[in-house]
Amino acid sequence: MSDAADARPDTPKSRLARLFDSPAALKIAGGLFILVAWELVVQWTAPAYVAKPSNMIPILYATLTSREMLEACGTTLWAVIEGLLISLAAGVIFGLAMGQNRFVDRFLQIYVNGLYAMPMIAILPLLTIWFGYSSSARLATIVFAAFFPIAIQVRDGARAAPREYMEVARAYRARWHHIWFGITLPAAMPYLVAGLQLAVGRALVGAVVAEFFISIDGLGFYILFNSRTFHHNKAMIAVLLFAAFAVGVQWLMDFAMRRFLPWYRAGERH
Amino acid sequence: MRLDPESRAVRWAIFAASVLVGAAFWQFGARHVNPAVAVPLTATIERLVELTKSGELLGALWSSLVLFGTGLGLAIVAALPLGLVLARARRLRIAFTDYITLLYALPTVALIPFILSLFGIDFSAKVLVVFLFAFFAVLYNTVEGARSIRPELIEVARSFRSPEWALWRDVLIPATLPYAMTGIRQAIGRALVGMVAAQFFLAASGIGELIMNSARDFDTGALLGSVLIIALLGVVLMRLGTALENRFTAWRGLGR
Repeated sequence: MSDAADARPDTPKSRLARLFDSPAALKIAGGLFILVAWELVVQWTAPAYVAKPSNMIPILYATLTSREMLEACGTTLWAVIEGLLISLAAGVIFGLAMGQNRFVDRFLQIYVNGLYAMPMIAILPLLTIWFGYSSSARLATIVFAAFFPIAIQVRDGARAAPREYMEVARAYRARWHHIWFGITLPAAMPYLVAGLQLAVGRALVGAVVAEFFISIDGLGFYILFNSRTFHHNKAMIAVLLFAAFAVGVQWLMDFAMRRFLPWYRAGERH
Repeated sequence: MRLDPESRAVRWAIFAASVLVGAAFWQFGARHVNPAVAVPLTATIERLVELTKSGELLGALWSSLVLFGTGLGLAIVAALPLGLVLARARRLRIAFTDYITLLYALPTVALIPFILSLFGIDFSAKVLVVFLFAFFAVLYNTVEGARSIRPELIEVARSFRSPEWALWRDVLIPATLPYAMTGIRQAIGRALVGMVAAQFFLAASGIGELIMNSARDFDTGALLGSVLIIALLGVVLMRLGTALENRFTAWRGLGR
């Protein structure tokens, strides 16, 4: 809302109505509404152990700074980062190869598309047989979840690289690694970021599912354990922390795009 | 002679080679490992045929699809109208968009333990899991679509004294629908994950139960077979979602 619109004399507004013209006030009101609704619904309908804001807020700080929570966060985040790095390296190489070479693309297509469409959770029992009930099974789940979106997006991005660049590079007899990492990869950057954003979400889900299934330490297991022992408030704080991670990473990547690759307009993927 | 990778013959040849190499890799790679770890393709297919003959596989698929369809259907029916209301009511949209994004980003699978202790493990609890996996994808994308509507469109409609229902019919729904379809495509993928998760972590049933039991019994043929089936199911459903999305993207450029 511009100031001019506010100053129009023919629409007298009460103070309260004008307050709700500001997005910040609206958002805070929306948040409060959700908290109050949550609180009331749980108080009226659910057993006492169910998580509700009035029980979560007092223990929020203590829970977030407790050693078990910090350790759980550290373990899971480290596994996710490790898995993402592996997926990123492998995904970029496979993606570039598929984007550059139609034969490679057609050859791998059914496997990449098929495994991407498969719900990753279904492969978990198989991974526990292959990797044991261990943290390597979790890592494998994360890599399996994160690899395909990165590879597919990089492939699409490599294919969208301007044809003229390729022609110039070829005319000057550029070496293949100059073309791959000097032209195609930078051109695929917005796609890579989009793939990475998808991959982060999937990797977090993969980590939680793997921890549920394998029962190894981490934030997912923290949630499982605390909800099984009726500490729903603590468990729900961990769930919200997860959401905050996911949103935080999205925000960070949008920010990095704008800061370091400002020539790609946000959300523009041809 | 240079091969044209786009010609039909070459495409089919590469496809056939790809399938053959994959099958051979599976067949011969699995021969020399412990049968608890992997069994050859032929053994897997034999096991699948057995499971089909006994009716186990079809029964599992059917109960899985019922769960999937109920949860996804309810999510779409609930999320679309809500998204459209948020498309119209600007203030409500500003107030709630950030929270919808948060819930969309939330790994829904983390909510399963809560659902377990609150709603039990029966069919309705599993439907709730699938519903939650799908709901926010549809809602989030519908609201995104609402944000893409140019305010001029609504202003013009209003200055021509368009009644409310005509505004919905001619502006809001056509402009939001393509985004909603993207949401539905995403929701299909998520609901499939939700379906398997519900069948794993709540009362075991359907294809999830088949996977769990065969893993427990080291019946690797059945395990690999059911994973193969679910991959095929994923591909079919994904294709369906993409087709649905493309059907509606024709007029997506409208708002830009």
